[in-house]
Amino acid sequence: MNRKVLIAGLAIILPLLGILFLNLGRDPRAIDSPLIGKPAPAFALPTTEGTAAISLDDMKGRVVVVNFWATWCVPCLQEHEVLLRGAREYSEQAHFVGVIYQDELPQVQRFVQRRGQAYPSLFDADGKMAIAYGVGGVPETYFISPNGIITDKYAGPLSHRELARLVDKASRWGS
Amino acid sequence: MVPVLGRALILLTLFLATAGAMVGFAAGARRTAAGFAWTRRFAYAFAAAMVLTNALMVYALLARDFSVAYVAQVGSHAVPNWVAVVSLWSSLEGSILFWGLVLGLYIAAATWTTRDAPGDQMSYAAAVWLATGACFAFLLAGPAQPFGTMDPPPLDGPGPNPLLQNHLLMIAHPPFLYLGFVGMTIPFGLASAALLTGRLGHDFVRPLRTWLMVPWTFLTVAIVLGGWWAYEVLGWGGYWAWDPVENASFLPWLTATAAVHSGVLMERKGTLKGWTVTLIQATFLLTILGTFMTRSGVFNSVHSFTQSAIGPALLGFLGLGLVWSVTLLALRIDRLSSPVAVGVARSREGLFLVNNLLFVLFTFTVLIGTVFPLIVEATQNVQMSVGRPYFDRMAVPIGVTLLLLLGIGPALPWGRASAADMKRALLPPLGATALAGALGYALGVRNGWTLVTIAFGGYALHVTLHQLWLPAARRMSAGFGEAFAELARLRRRTAAYVVHLGAIVVIVSIAVSSTEGESVEAQLVPGETTTVGAYTLTFQSAEEIEQPHRISVVAHVAVTKDGRDLGLIKPRMNHYRSQRQPIGTPAVRTQAFEDLYLSVMNIDAANQRLGLLAIVKPMVGWIWIGTGIMALGGLLVLWPARRVVPPLATPVVTEGA
Repeated sequence: MNRKVLIAGLAIILPLLGILFLNLGRDPRAIDSPLIGKPAPAFALPTTEGTAAISLDDMKGRVVVVNFWATWCVPCLQEHEVLLRGAREYSEQAHFVGVIYQDELPQVQRFVQRRGQAYPSLFDADGKMAIAYGVGGVPETYFISPNGIITDKYAGPLSHRELARLVDKASRWGS
Repeated sequence: MVPVLGRALILLTLFLATAGAMVGFAAGARRTAAGFAWTRRFAYAFAAAMVLTNALMVYALLARDFSVAYVAQVGSHAVPNWVAVVSLWSSLEGSILFWGLVLGLYIAAATWTTRDAPGDQMSYAAAVWLATGACFAFLLAGPAQPFGTMDPPPLDGPGPNPLLQNHLLMIAHPPFLYLGFVGMTIPFGLASAALLTGRLGHDFVRPLRTWLMVPWTFLTVAIVLGGWWAYEVLGWGGYWAWDPVENASFLPWLTATAAVHSGVLMERKGTLKGWTVTLIQATFLLTILGTFMTRSGVFNSVHSFTQSAIGPALLGFLGLGLVWSVTLLALRIDRLSSPVAVGVARSREGLFLVNNLLFVLFTFTVLIGTVFPLIVEATQNVQMSVGRPYFDRMAVPIGVTLLLLLGIGPALPWGRASAADMKRALLPPLGATALAGALGYALGVRNGWTLVTIAFGGYALHVTLHQLWLPAARRMSAGFGEAFAELARLRRRTAAYVVHLGAIVVIVSIAVSSTEGESVEAQLVPGETTTVGAYTLTFQSAEEIEQPHRISVVAHVAVTKDGRDLGLIKPRMNHYRSQRQPIGTPAVRTQAFEDLYLSVMNIDAANQRLGLLAIVKPMVGWIWIGTGIMALGGLLVLWPARRVVPPLATPVVTEGA
C-alpha cells in the first residue's frame, strides 16, 4: 500500500466529486435573476390597441404571466401558438399579458390582425419596463404569483408543458 | 414490435457485459484456460449485441418508425435518408447507443489483437472493458432508454437538431470524438490489468502503446474538427474559445499525449511504468468527466446536450472509476516501480520528464479554469465564468515551452551527453531559428510571443526534418529505394517525427492566426464599400430565403483584391424555428496563406441594411493541414508491420557451416 499515492489521489478526487455533486440538478436554462422571490416591479402601460392602460395592480389575485416579445423575433412566432392555447386553458387561474420589446406599433398591429391574440399586449415605448425586469432578449417570460411575487424567469420559447408547470408553481407560491 | 425488440437487445448487452466482466475477473484471478476463452467469447458477444442494437435503431430511423421514442424525438419524413442515419448520434439517447457501438467494436478489435498476450492479464483487461460496457448498457436500459414505446405513435417527428444539418463537419465531428473518447477505455483496461497482476513486461508494453495511439489519433482529429466547425459556422472568426465542453475534449488529450511520451521511455528503458499507468488511468477518467460535463447540464455551453437524468448516473460512474483507480494505484504501484533511475538531466530522458511535467501542469491549469466557476457557484451562489485571458495567459507560455522541447529533445542523444555532444547537437539548428524569426519579422509579425513561437518553430523544424531524414540519408548511397525502405522499416520512429512535423505546423499557425490579421466592422447600404487588408468589399443586396426549417437572410458581397475580381461572397443569417437566437453562417474564402472571413452581424432585408464583420486571418488553413499531417503520422504508427518473411520463401544459405 502506497500511502502517498492514496492521499494525493483522494486529495484530488474528493473535492472534485463534491463540487460536481453540489452542482448537479441545476438547469442552466433557468436564468438566475435577482428578482426571483421579490415583488414584481409595478407597471402601467397602454395596450397596442390604444385602450386604457393596464397595470399590475389591476391583475392581482391571480397568477400573471408576462411575456416579452417582438414581431421580428422568429422564436416568438413559434411560441405564439403555445401562449394562445395557454391563455385559453388557464383563463380561470391566470392573466396573460404581452409586452412589446423594441418594435414599431404598426408592425405589431399587422401581426395581431394576421395571427390573432387572446390577451392584451402592452406597448413599452421607451423600454423602461424591460429594464425594470432585466430582460436580456426575447422571448422572455416572467411568472408572478397572485400576491405579486416573481416566481420564475424563463428565457427562450416555452413549451406547453413548461408553461403549465410554471403557471402551476406560481399559483401555489407561498401556500 | 421494434421498441420491444430494442429493449430486449439492450438487456442482452447489459447481461453479456455484466456476466463477461465477472467471468473475466474470476478468470484473471484463477488463471484457467477455459476462463480466458469464455472471457473472450463474452467480449465478442457483447460487441455483436451492440452492433445488432444499433442496426435496429438505424432501421427504425430509416423506416420512420415513430413508435420508437427516439425516432419520434429526432426522426422526420421531411429529412433525407442520410440525415436520418446521422440522427443516430444527434441527440442524447442515440449518442449513448452509438457510444455503446463504438465501445463494442473497440473491445472486439482489442480482444482479437491481444489474443496471444498472457491470459490472466487479458482476462482482467477484458473484464474492465466489459465493466465499462455494463455501465453504458445500464444507462441505455434505464435513464437513457432510446427504445421507449410511443403509443399511439405520432404521424411525423420534428427531425434532428438543425445545427447538425447546418454543416458537414458537424456530422464528422461526433464520430471522431467518440472514437477518441471511447477508445481510451482500451488502454485503461490494459493498464488496470498491469496493476492487478503487478506485471508490465515487454510483451504488454507494445499493445498498451498501440492501443493508446489509436484513440489519441482520433481524438486529435476530433478536437480540430470541432474547432474547424466553430470557425465555419459560429461566425465570430475564431476556432477555440476555452468553452467547458471544448476543454472536456482537450483534457484527456493532454494526459494521453503525456502518456504517449512517457510510454517511449517505458518501452526503451523500462522506467516510468507506474507513472505511465497513472497517466492512462487519468486519461480515461477525464473522458468520463468530459462525458458528464456535456450530458449532465451542469455546464452551460453551446455544445452540450440538455439536462437529463443521466447526470447522476454518470457522476456515479465517475466516482466509481476514480475510487477504483486510486485504490488500485495505491495498492499496486510499488510493484511496477522502475529498477533503473531515470534522472539524467542532460539527456533525452531528462527532457521526456520535463515534457511530461509540462503536460500535467497544462492539464491542471485547464481543469482548474473549467471547474472554478462551479466552486464559486456552489460556495457563494454567484454565476461566473473564467474567460479567455486566464487560459491564454497560462496556455501560451506552456505551449511555447513545449514547442522548444519538441526541438531540443530529439536533438539530444540518449544517455548522458558530454558538453561537446551537446554543442554538436544543439548549435546547428540555431541558423534555422534565426531565419524563421527574421522571416516572421519581415512579413510583419510584431507580437513578441508570436515571433518567439516562429523562431522556436524554425528550430524544431530543422531538428525534426534532420531526424526524419537521418536514417534514409545513411542509406542514400544504396539508392533512393533503399533509403525509403529504411524509413519504412523504422516505421514507428518515422511516424513519430511526422506527428511532430504536423504539431509544429499547428502550433505556429495557431500563434500567427490568433495574433495577426485585421478585422473591420461596418454598417452598409447597397453600393457602399469597406476595405479590410487588400480586399475591397461592396454590399450589393440582402435577400430573404424562406425554407421549411428556417428563414435565411443572405448578403451578397462583391469582393476584389488589389483590383482583381474575386466574385460574390454570401454570408448569411439563419433563423431556425427551434432556436431562440439567430445562427449566422459566415462565408470563408480560404487561400494558401490567409482566409477572408465574412460574417453577418445584423441584416435587414426589408430596409436593405447590413452590419458586416470582415476578418483577414493568416495561416488558418495550415492548422487543418498540420492536423492532417499529425493524423497521417498516427496512421503510420498503426500501419501493420511488414510480416517477417517465412523461412520457406527465403532458403537460408549456410555457408561454411
